[in-house]
Amino acid sequence: MIRSDIIRGHLESIILRLVCEEDRYGYEISKEISARTDNRFQIKEATLYAVFQRLEKKDLIDSYFGNVSQGGKRKYYRITTLGKAYLKETVEEWKETKAIIDLFMEGLD
Amino acid sequence: MKKINGYVEELFKNIPESEQKNAVMQEVTQNLEEKVWDLMGEGKTEEDAINKAIVDFGDIEDLKQELGVSQPKKRNTSKLNLWYSIWGSLLIISLFVFINFYYSPEIIWFVYPTFAVLWWPLTMYFSWKRTK
Repeated sequence: MIRSDIIRGHLESIILRLVCEEDRYGYEISKEISARTDNRFQIKEATLYAVFQRLEKKDLIDSYFGNVSQGGKRKYYRITTLGKAYLKETVEEWKETKAIIDLFMEGLD
Repeated sequence: MKKINGYVEELFKNIPESEQKNAVMQEVTQNLEEKVWDLMGEGKTEEDAINKAIVDFGDIEDLKQELGVSQPKKRNTSKLNLWYSIWGSLLIISLFVFINFYYSPEIIWFVYPTFAVLWWPLTMYFSWKRTK
């Protein structure tokens, strides 16, 4: 399991991407991240909620209570228009960053 | 599921009370419970499931920071200090000028204390520059 700081810096984008696809709740997001990465990366729940707080504070996502499941009401998150714009920008930024880092990381083996 | 509630209470006990905190606690509890149900669905016993959910939860430091009372930003007073030093030194200098011309107009000595006093606004000016 990777616990790298590099991923940490992109958690906001990862979560934005997931709620951009559809409205999701916390546990679903952590499951989805594990599933998509084949358990190579698992987000700690504690971190997840911290990121939600940050994103909500920046108005990139907002939340509402959905249907009742076992235990209580799920809190769903959805992306805002600002969030979509922000995501688009971070994607561009990532492409650029990746291209630059690749220049130095590729072709050594 | 009492254990989950207890765990969440314990986790959040050092965070100052706020609506936001209660909302997050509720959310965390709900999600943890759901995870426990999931794990039990995979065949774990309730105790195992709860323990795994708790271990997976991780370190709350990050979240604490988000929820902590936002420290009021220390106001930058250096500009105010600069103005205070300018007005203050002007007052002192004019006092010297007055004493000089009123009591001993034949010798001009107010320049010397003036130079000394000017260190004050000069210092404040640079400390203001530094913060910019």
